[in-house]
Amino acid sequence: MIRVEDLQKRFGSLHVLKGVDLEVQKGEVLVVIGPSGSGKSTLLRCINLLIEPDDGRVLLEGVQVNRPGIKREWVREQVGMVFQSFNLFTHLTALQNVTLGPTRVRGEDPGKAAERGRALLARVGLADKADAYPAQLSGGQQQRVAIARALAMNPKAMLFDEPTSALDPEYIREVLDVMASLAQDGMTMIVVTHEMGFASNVARRILFMDAGKIIEEGAPEEIFHRPKEERTRAFVSKILR
Amino acid sequence: MVTTVGSATRRSLDRGVTLRTLLRAAEMAIGAILFIIILEVVLRFDILDSTLWGLYGPYYFVTGVLGTLQYIAIIIPLSVAVGFSVGWARLSRLRVVTWPLSVYVDFFRGVPPIIIVIFASLLGPSLVPARFHSKDLGILMAALALSLHSGAYQSEIFRAGFMSVPTGQLEAAQSLGMTRGQSMQFVVLPQALRLSVPPLANELAVVIKDTSLLAIIGALDLFGLSNVFTQQAVFGSNQLWWVFVVWTAVALVYFVMTFSVTELLNWVDRRYHVKGLEAISA
Repeated sequence: MIRVEDLQKRFGSLHVLKGVDLEVQKGEVLVVIGPSGSGKSTLLRCINLLIEPDDGRVLLEGVQVNRPGIKREWVREQVGMVFQSFNLFTHLTALQNVTLGPTRVRGEDPGKAAERGRALLARVGLADKADAYPAQLSGGQQQRVAIARALAMNPKAMLFDEPTSALDPEYIREVLDVMASLAQDGMTMIVVTHEMGFASNVARRILFMDAGKIIEEGAPEEIFHRPKEERTRAFVSKILR
Repeated sequence: MVTTVGSATRRSLDRGVTLRTLLRAAEMAIGAILFIIILEVVLRFDILDSTLWGLYGPYYFVTGVLGTLQYIAIIIPLSVAVGFSVGWARLSRLRVVTWPLSVYVDFFRGVPPIIIVIFASLLGPSLVPARFHSKDLGILMAALALSLHSGAYQSEIFRAGFMSVPTGQLEAAQSLGMTRGQSMQFVVLPQALRLSVPPLANELAVVIKDTSLLAIIGALDLFGLSNVFTQQAVFGSNQLWWVFVVWTAVALVYFVMTFSVTELLNWVDRRYHVKGLEAISA
């Protein structure tokens, strides 16, 4: 479904991605872990072309998307993204946040989009918050609206960039539950997270990144309990505690 | 069901707005009446003196008000257009775009508008082909220069509005497949403009009163014509007290113009108020 080959990215003199390869099958959940500054967020942003990779290939269903002639908007429509800081549109209600994409990008009928939007809000457990503005919602509720907003475009895959890192502990569960149910429904997902419980239960594979490279890759069981690399062991021991 | 609730809040909001506007207008009216009472009762000036208004009213006052309105009608739309465009363009990453614009802003913010008016009226016409020359061209050029002057201030207002929208908003819009244009139109602009409205009201209040600077190059605006009249009143008819009455009337007219524009923008501000975003709720 998604394949990345020898991905390179520099910001000035900073070499952020030094040749990353990965592949995610349709319906698979891949969790990416690694210390801050290791290039995880940049990797996700290169996949939906919010950041233009310097070198290497990004393939979506076998089509290379990081090349001239391919519209970035077309790529982003098919790959939903959920951000650490939610980034809900502050001037729009929860429902308007969800329907903005379908109506403006796809030209969907507003009535139909609203109907679908309400269904999506119900799916993330927020049917009663359709008319609330982001500032009136808790962090957990905002993030669930953000997931519904991404789902409204019917993406083929979803990218999650530390979706629970900005949340108060009591709201983490509700967001992870929504993500787990998505995974159960067969959504292809790449998740950057340090939630070990989620990674163990939902992901089939875990990828450990450090300093712009993939250091180790394996089942949750192996990475968390029998890491082969020293760097992986050091990192995992810090977050497992 | 949900729409009913929505329109009910909208309606009560509108009622609150009208009430607030009326209250503020009433406060101002009381202030004006007090001032008039002082002129009338304490200083014993007859503010409706028919000789005074017979001389001042039909020509000086009416022509002056119309002249000032005409300059406002040129300067406000033009300065807002300039300010918005420059403010937006200065977000560009291209130095060739941003550097000249920052020079423009620094220049017009740093030079007294009265000097800009004088220079524009003297030198401005030479920029225009001779066949378009008329006797009012100097004043028109000065009015354009005042628009550039206020546009420089307004560009900073709009730029601040744009810059206070977090990049995450743009990223989120683009990740839904929106083009840069769509992201601007539907996500960034509505938020940036909302933040620009209160300081814009402030600046427009200044612009309205700054039109009086055109008087020094002979514009037939309210300030200029009233100035001419008061000098004639003092030297011609030896009625010194007329001066107080005339300037009170002039001040009131400027006040009403300013109040109307700022109140209009305050209404816009409240109309697009977003629930939950207020730092302090009154």
